[in-house]
Amino acid sequence: MSDVSTDINPTIGAMLRSARDFLAHEHSLFRTLALQPVLIGRGQATFALTLPPAFAGCDGYIHGGLCTIVLDSIFGLTVFTAMEQVKPIATINLRTDYLGRAKPGARVRCAAICEAVDDDVAYVSGKLTFEEGGGLIAVASGAFMIGTKGPMKGMRV
Amino acid sequence: MTGAAPIAEWLGFSSEETGDDRLYRLAFNETHIGNPAIRALHGGVIAAFLELAMQSELRANGRTPEATVNVTIDYVASSRAENMTARVKVIRIGRRLAFMEAEGRQADGSRLVAVARACLRLS
Repeated sequence: MSDVSTDINPTIGAMLRSARDFLAHEHSLFRTLALQPVLIGRGQATFALTLPPAFAGCDGYIHGGLCTIVLDSIFGLTVFTAMEQVKPIATINLRTDYLGRAKPGARVRCAAICEAVDDDVAYVSGKLTFEEGGGLIAVASGAFMIGTKGPMKGMRV
Repeated sequence: MTGAAPIAEWLGFSSEETGDDRLYRLAFNETHIGNPAIRALHGGVIAAFLELAMQSELRANGRTPEATVNVTIDYVASSRAENMTARVKVIRIGRRLAFMEAEGRQADGSRLVAVARACLRLS
């Protein structure tokens, strides 16, 4: 299979690279998560991370809230890869099913696909899996509004 | 107890009794920002806060959440870089499952920002 990143429009690719660098270096929440890009293609993105202990619940396992933080972030980035022209976006809603539990320190992957863009709404689905063995931690689907009033998500004005 | 969980500390999570029910609070912190350009809370942070509030409400009702089956959240208005409060409604607590709903508000409770629903498995 060829490198999917070559399928991206060069302008979108440049924006994605700056978004990725921004997420990795300039934003404290994303610096905490240390998201590492695995694959960025048109309408799809996969990132890897080590689950930080600061997000454990009272049972010692990672709290579901961290899953929604990661899924919402990667879903938003995936919407950008599907757009012809980059516009500000916002999450409309997100549904997350929790299928497995992970301990702090576990290596995981978040993979997302933008299923469709219908007028000004993008539909994304994806999952969080263990890097080793691919066991499911969570599956999710979300809808995103394209062309909201604010500046671009994850980007500087 | 939920208050001791690392994620509760990261969120700045607290609760207070207000007559018949409880008010849950997210103490704003710069690390909660999702979009620095518009200074809004990260959607996932709001979802994490509301999920923790629903779990805490279940405990306040004398039941222990074993695991969350699923969570659905609607973002009905843009959020701001400030504290958020939540009230939780118990839809039904059964023998094995509980269904809860949480409303996240800002601007001293006048602005509804997000509504979440969760199904929780009971131990």
